[in-house]
Amino acid sequence: MGKTSRITIFATALMASTTWAVYAQDASKAIKIVLPEQPANLEPCGTIITNVGQILSQNVTEALTVIDAKTGLPQPKLATEWTRVDDTTWRFKIRPGVKFQNGKDLTAEAVAFSIKRMTGGTMTCNNMAKFGDRKIEATPVDALTLDIKSDRPEPIMPTLLSVVMVVSPDTPVDKPVNDPVGTGPFKLASFDTQSVALERFDGYWGAKPVIEKANYVWRSESSIRAAMVETGEADLTPSIAIQDATNSETDFAYLNSETTAIRIDMSKPPLNDLRIRKALNLAIDWEGLTQLFGDDVKRASQMAVPGINGHDETLKPWESDPAQAAALVAEAKAAGVPVDSEITLIGRNGIYPNGGEAMEAMVAMWREAGLNVKLTMLDVADWIRYLQKPYPEERGATLLQMQHDNNKGDAAFTIPIFYRSTGQYATVSDPALDKEIDTALATSGEDRAKDFKMIFAKARNDVVADIPMYHMIGYTRVGKRLDWHPDITTNSEIPLANIQLKN
Amino acid sequence: MTALISDITVSPRTGKLRTIWNCLKRDKLALAAVIFLLLLVIATLAGPPLIGDLATKLGLRQRNLAPFSFQHDWIYFLGADTLGRPIIARLVVGAQNTLGIAFAAVLCSMLTGGILGLIAGYSERWYSQIIQRLADVVMSFPSLLLALIVLYTLGPSITNLVIVLAFTRMPIYLRTTRAEVLELRERMFVSAAISMGASPLRIVVRHIAPLVLPTLLTIAALDFATVILAESSLSFLGLGIQPPDFTWGAMVANGRGYLANAWWISFWPGLVILLTTLSLNLLSSWARTFADPQQRWRLQSLRKTPR
Amino acid sequence: MLSYIGRRASHSIISVLGLLALVFFLTRLTGDPSSLFLPLDSTLEARQAFARLHGFDQPIHWQFLNYLRDLVSLDFGQSVRQNRSAMEIALEAFPQTLKLAFVAMALAIALAIVAGSIAATRPGGFFDRIVSLVSLTGASAPDFWIAIVGILVFAVSFDLLPTSGTGSLAHWIMPVFVLALRPFGLLVQVVRGTMLSALSAPYIKTARAKGLRRKEIIFGHALRNSLLPVITVAGDLTAGLVNGAVIVETVFGWPGIGKLMIDAIILRDFAVVQSTILVTATAIFVLNICIDLLYAVLDPRIRY
Repeated sequence: MGKTSRITIFATALMASTTWAVYAQDASKAIKIVLPEQPANLEPCGTIITNVGQILSQNVTEALTVIDAKTGLPQPKLATEWTRVDDTTWRFKIRPGVKFQNGKDLTAEAVAFSIKRMTGGTMTCNNMAKFGDRKIEATPVDALTLDIKSDRPEPIMPTLLSVVMVVSPDTPVDKPVNDPVGTGPFKLASFDTQSVALERFDGYWGAKPVIEKANYVWRSESSIRAAMVETGEADLTPSIAIQDATNSETDFAYLNSETTAIRIDMSKPPLNDLRIRKALNLAIDWEGLTQLFGDDVKRASQMAVPGINGHDETLKPWESDPAQAAALVAEAKAAGVPVDSEITLIGRNGIYPNGGEAMEAMVAMWREAGLNVKLTMLDVADWIRYLQKPYPEERGATLLQMQHDNNKGDAAFTIPIFYRSTGQYATVSDPALDKEIDTALATSGEDRAKDFKMIFAKARNDVVADIPMYHMIGYTRVGKRLDWHPDITTNSEIPLANIQLKN
Repeated sequence: MTALISDITVSPRTGKLRTIWNCLKRDKLALAAVIFLLLLVIATLAGPPLIGDLATKLGLRQRNLAPFSFQHDWIYFLGADTLGRPIIARLVVGAQNTLGIAFAAVLCSMLTGGILGLIAGYSERWYSQIIQRLADVVMSFPSLLLALIVLYTLGPSITNLVIVLAFTRMPIYLRTTRAEVLELRERMFVSAAISMGASPLRIVVRHIAPLVLPTLLTIAALDFATVILAESSLSFLGLGIQPPDFTWGAMVANGRGYLANAWWISFWPGLVILLTTLSLNLLSSWARTFADPQQRWRLQSLRKTPR
Repeated sequence: MLSYIGRRASHSIISVLGLLALVFFLTRLTGDPSSLFLPLDSTLEARQAFARLHGFDQPIHWQFLNYLRDLVSLDFGQSVRQNRSAMEIALEAFPQTLKLAFVAMALAIALAIVAGSIAATRPGGFFDRIVSLVSLTGASAPDFWIAIVGILVFAVSFDLLPTSGTGSLAHWIMPVFVLALRPFGLLVQVVRGTMLSALSAPYIKTARAKGLRRKEIIFGHALRNSLLPVITVAGDLTAGLVNGAVIVETVFGWPGIGKLMIDAIILRDFAVVQSTILVTATAIFVLNICIDLLYAVLDPRIRY
């Protein structure tokens, strides 16, 4: 081979690889989604983790039920109907004619296997967190009927089962997997360090999705993700920062089921004084603070978002009233409360967009009100030590920045964690309140919502264990060729089957 | 202090200062760098009392205020940040932390690196070997990652930041010092001192260290720049200085999310970092030329440089 | 020669082991990471069960002995987050960084030699000033800032390059450029400095007196002698290049070992931290030995 020809080959190769104008896959039915984080793994038992759920939930794996975004009520998915046999037993009818992506049939046996895999304790299952300390057991009655028993009366079993992803019985029970096989409309094609690819599964039981292929990549910077959709490199990106949501045609705001708050450690002076806790709420310039999060956020008065069974629409958020805050602090001081002792506000880096700025602003406002608050920003590992029990011994008086996500339709996923004395995040310890919570959890129907509302009202008005901030807004940028809108479930799932192509 | 001043007024020193000044005048870029650095030091020392708490005072209603507007106070001339705080005020107050951390880190690494280098260079005992191996380990491992691991463990406070930055830069001083000592101790005056019965400590401190110092100072100027940049990288990764404290690096890192809509939030601190490090780089490259007897004529000759 | 390599290698192995031990204890000092791997609202029992499963509940020295035992049998542990072998993950990511660093370094060296040599032929001249200013400016700005501005300008405003990711040749341009900036800035200074001293050396004067052409003098004689310091500095910059790679990989979504290591440190995926450190440190030590050997090739006076 002569020198010239080698150069020619090299030049041709160079030119071939430089035809970079073809990123957009306009004509095809393949889409590219860019996520904020790399999914750690693709274990179907971890779908409540955002970056796993956004890929797997409703695409690769499905559950017996699915939560309706508007009403918060469970709807049929792999189960067609269900009845409560007695206090602790529910009977589910399994959808006939459903096939797993490996060709196996969906049976009651397979569902029982999935439940056992999750609850058996032979591997770590993140989704179990939604069950708290409940114990459940599944027994097939016939090929398509399944009984599920719980260790205590469980009025919201169908809701709980929406987090149990049904997987093929071939899945190993004792170790997590990265190649999930479910019943969903898409199957996993590849998973490497750069992307995850899903392909349409032709044997799906439901309607055939328009999208044929989906490719998931990840970039941490919000501005870069927004730019990728803008330039057509990608078609969709969830959770962009408010300052990047500048184009009303492509950027959609949606209530993302997250509620932000500051938790008050009620066991330490001066925070054990009700007046100080009220003053903390009143001293904030809420209107000013809202500027950080945009006009679409909704001020929160409780820890669960609207649409959740038990959310009290009539409960008013705290107004800002610095004068009254100062008066309350003065009153507490006169009563001998050590208002000058140092209070530490513990923030978490990157918890939500502009979270750090919000903490800086709130500290400035509290200092104005005469409280000695100091800000400490921690990274997630250190912050968790303050979030979860057992709390560090030497912690002192702390306020904790937190964000709570409840998109599972029921306040049972919120109230016991925060306000029952045994709750993982609770700093309140009140036997009477515990009792009310236990009663509410065992109640069903109309009364359930009423009981929950009462507890939320009590938490807001009498206990004041937290400073509810906002029901947060997520912004999703959707490329021009897609016809799809985000909703309250977008933080946990992006069902590809719902995505239509324009034209 | 008085000793220093009287030293300067004595004539040989004046002569030396004048030479430096003349050489500096010949290199306009280096001169500009010196002027910029002087202004910076003055602003850092005198600025904060003048500005008061303007740098931390919230103005949520003038968030991301654009620069060059004359409707607001002059302090808002470069715009306001994400919490509506004037950027000019934050630059001045941020300079204290930025330069303070860099100065402390460089000083620490120069002192420890220099001392260990003197030991490693002059002594041939076992610990000399150990010091060198340690330096090899630190040198050959990416400093940013080492810093990350240590900061994750100890928590990102200013003191820890200084320790980590000093630790990762230390081997450079150590190696340079050792190399110079190896060469110097073969020189005549050292042999003379030894034969006159001077103790090793005395030889190292009185005869060798003063000769190594100028080289170390040149490296320090460059390192100052590196440390400022390293600190900003740590801020980008979320492990730099934590609010409410801030440095220029943290300002750039916090403003990066706004580059598309409010560029000024991270542009101005980025610019001062750039100007500061650039000035230090220019100055240190000028100092290298000045210190090199073969090259110094370039700064002295009035003629245009020959082809 | 061989004994020299042997000695260097044994020194390096001891250093790597020391580093691994240091990092092992440093990362474990932060305590049990179980709660990081589980959902925030999981129960205390679930967290304790998780700690037992992965051995986080054992005393540190015991964990270390276990680690050493596994190390001897070349078992580098499992990534808790990714459910697979930590070494496999590290070795998958390493070539990506190696490629990026190699291209960036090659580019930096090549450009620095050309620009530095030309600048040295007319010190103080116009080109010299421009080269100094441009190279120093490039090396003086925070690299993540340049990277993000680069994306906003070249990918968004002008739509010339892809924003991030890998794939075509175009995906390489911005990451390589950003990564090469700092080494280029420093190397230009080195090349310029050594060329200046070389050009005023007696043998160049002889060559000039012999009537050789300028080009021949510069690239034939002076450059060859200034290559050694360039290689020394370039070698020292390699560890620093990984620093840059961490930032570049984070911004551009490049699936390299720097990003992997950062994520592993932040999320306390200990086995991955250890494996990535082992791989990176080994690579750098091997490179240093190679540089020493290269020295011997380039400078016949050096013998090991």
